[in-house]
Amino acid sequence: MSERSEHAGRWEQLSVRMVLVDLTQSLLATLPAVVAVGLTGAGRGQIWPLIGLAAFGIIGAIADAWRWVFTRYRISPAHVELKSGVFVRRHRSIRRDRIRSVDVEARLRHRLGGLRVVKIGAGQQASDGESALELDALSAADARVLQDRLLDPRDTAIGDPVPSEVGPGRDEPLRVFARFDPRWVICNVFNAWAYLLALGLGWGGFWLLDSFGLDVSGFILGLLDWSAIGWAGTVAIVFFAVSVFGAAGLAVNYFTEYWNFELARVRGAEGTLLRTRHGLFTTREVGRDENRFRGAQISEPVLWRWMGVSDTTVITTGLSMWSMSQPAAILPRGPVAFARRVVTEVLGTEENLFEAPLARHPRAALWRRLWWATGLSAAMALPLVGLAVAGVVPVAVLWPAAVIWPVSLGAAVVAFRALGHAIRGPYLVTRSGLVSRATTVLQRTAVSTIVVRESLLQRRLGLCTVSAMTAAGYGGYDTPDIDAQDGLSFALEAAPGLLDPFVTVTGGEEPEGSAPGDPGRRRAGAAFG
Amino acid sequence: MGDLWPAAGAAQGTVSLRPPAHAVERRAIAWWMLQSLLFGGALLAVSVIGYLFWEGARSWLGFVVVAVAVLLVVDLVVEPLWRYRVHRWETSAEAVYARTGWLVREWRAAPLARVQTVDAVQGPLEQLLGLSTLRVTTASSRGAIDIGGLDRDTAVRVAEELTRIAQLTPGDAT
Repeated sequence: MSERSEHAGRWEQLSVRMVLVDLTQSLLATLPAVVAVGLTGAGRGQIWPLIGLAAFGIIGAIADAWRWVFTRYRISPAHVELKSGVFVRRHRSIRRDRIRSVDVEARLRHRLGGLRVVKIGAGQQASDGESALELDALSAADARVLQDRLLDPRDTAIGDPVPSEVGPGRDEPLRVFARFDPRWVICNVFNAWAYLLALGLGWGGFWLLDSFGLDVSGFILGLLDWSAIGWAGTVAIVFFAVSVFGAAGLAVNYFTEYWNFELARVRGAEGTLLRTRHGLFTTREVGRDENRFRGAQISEPVLWRWMGVSDTTVITTGLSMWSMSQPAAILPRGPVAFARRVVTEVLGTEENLFEAPLARHPRAALWRRLWWATGLSAAMALPLVGLAVAGVVPVAVLWPAAVIWPVSLGAAVVAFRALGHAIRGPYLVTRSGLVSRATTVLQRTAVSTIVVRESLLQRRLGLCTVSAMTAAGYGGYDTPDIDAQDGLSFALEAAPGLLDPFVTVTGGEEPEGSAPGDPGRRRAGAAFG
Repeated sequence: MGDLWPAAGAAQGTVSLRPPAHAVERRAIAWWMLQSLLFGGALLAVSVIGYLFWEGARSWLGFVVVAVAVLLVVDLVVEPLWRYRVHRWETSAEAVYARTGWLVREWRAAPLARVQTVDAVQGPLEQLLGLSTLRVTTASSRGAIDIGGLDRDTAVRVAEELTRIAQLTPGDAT
C-alpha cells in the first residue's frame, strides 16, 4: 500500500491487517470464559460476567472489521478526506494548510499487528468542536509515510507531489532534552488517583478470583484477628493497605506508560518539532511544531510541593488542553528543578524564567483571601449550627465544621504566597494557584486581548486582576490581585502598545464616570475610572 | 522594558485606564430591565407558587419569596442604572476597547491585528428595542469582546468598519 499512497487523489483503504487483529481479539475475548468453564467448572451465576466480556470483545471486533469495510481516505494536494460510517455515511475533509499536528499512536493490539493509528489535528481548540481526524489503523510504514507527507509543506502545492526525503535523518534527534528516569517513579506514586486505582483493581481482582471459585473474603478475614484489632485499627490497616496497593499500581503504570521516554528536538517540515515518545506496550509519539510555541507552564500540586513534584506543559496553539491524552505535556510528573531547566532549554531563553524573581502581591491580596475563607467557612458552618441547635443533626457534627475555618485560613495564606508576577524580556511570568501552583511563562507578543477586572471588594482593597488572553494553551492566563497601580503597569507591558492610548495620568483626582454606590473606595484615584 | 511606557515612572500622579469614549444607548437600560424581569420574574413566580401550594414549607419558603423579591428589585432598578454608568466602548484604527460590568467591572482591549471576526448580533429582546450587540472575537477562546446595547445601525456600521480595517492587517492573528 505504501507505493499507492504516493499518488494524490486516490481513495485508500485502511490496512487489511486490522481484520486479522480483530479476529485474534475475538478469540482472546472468549478465552477467559472457556477456561473458566473447562478447567474449574464454575457455576452459571459466576460465568455471566465472563460471557459478557466475551460478547463485548466479539461485538467490538466485528464492529471494527465492519468499519474497515466502509472506511476510505484520500489525500489530495489541498485536502485530507475521510469517508466513514455504516448506517450514517460521514464525509469529513480537512484543509491541509490547517493541519497542526500529525500523531502516530499504537495500542498493544496495533503493535502486535504492525499497525499504527494516525491522528490528524487541525484548527484551534477542542472547544471549537473541531475534532481530529483519525485513521485507525494503517500499517506502520504507511503511517510514517503519511505523517511525513502531511507535515511537508512542499507537498501541499497543487500538482505532482514532490518526493520528500523520507528515511534516514528524520528520526535522528537534533538534541535530546530528557530521557526516561526510573527515579521519577517517586513523584508519580503519591497521588489521589492511587485510591481510585486500588479500589478498581481490588474490585476487579476480587471478582475475577471469585469467578474462578476462590474464597477471597474468607482469605482476608482469616489473615488477621480483626475483632482484636478493633475498629480504628482496622480502618488504619485497610487505609495503609489500599495506599500501598494503589501506589504500587501507579508505579507499574508509570513504568509502562513512560518506558523509553525521550523528549527531543527533531527536524520537521517547517522548522523543528519537539517530540516526545514513550510507552512499553502502548507507544505514543507526539510532535509539536516549535513555531507555534508561545510559552510554558509548570504546575506544582500543593500536597507534594515539599517534594518538588511538578507537571510541565508547553503553551502552544493548535493543541487541545482538555484532551485526556494531554498532548501539551512534555515531561512526565517529575522534579521541579529539572523541569525548569528543561523548559528553559526548550524555549531557548537566556535566563531560567521559572526562577526569576517575582514581584510579591500586596498584603491586601492576603486580606481578600482571608475574608473569602472566613465567609465560605461561615456559610458552611452556620447552617450546621442551626441544624444542631434545632436538634436535626447531632452536636458531634460541629467538630469537623470547626476544623474548616483554620484549614481554609491556612489555604488562604498558601494561596497568597503563591502569587507573583514579573516581566522578563519578551516574556511575562505569572504565578498563582492553591491546589496546583502554576508558574506561567508567556510571550508578550502572543497576548491578543488584555482584560482588567475589579470586583467591589477588590476596589476597596486597591486590587485588580489582570488576564492576558492568547490563542495558545488555556486561552488566557490570570494574574489575580495585583496592586491596582502595579496591575496597570503590568497590563501595559504584557501587551506592548495595546493599552497606551487608553490610559491617563492623573494627579489623584477622582476619575470621571466612576460607578456609584462604592462609598468605601479607599484609594481615590488609584483605581481606574 | 520600562521604556515601553516611560510616563509610568516619570509621572508623579497615578495611572488609570480612562473611560472609553462612547456610552451605550439609553434604551439599553430597558434591555437590561427586561432581561432581569424575565429571569427574576420567573424565579419569583416559581417561589410564590411554591409558597401558595406547598403548605408544609411555608415557614421557610416565606423567606425565599422575600429574598427573591428583593433580588428582583435590585436587578430591576439598581443593576440597569449602574450598568448604564459603567458600560462604555470605543474603537480606534488599532484597537477595540470596552468597559462592562457592575459589581465586577471589566476593561477589555484587543488589537485589531488579532481580531478574527466582527459581528453585529441581535437577540429577540434587542430586536424589540432596535438594539444590537457588537461581538469581536480573537483567536483566543477567552478573548472575545461583547459590546451590548448599541444602536442597530451603529453596530452594523462599526462592524463593517472594523472588518475592513482588520482585513488590512497582515498575519494569521494568532
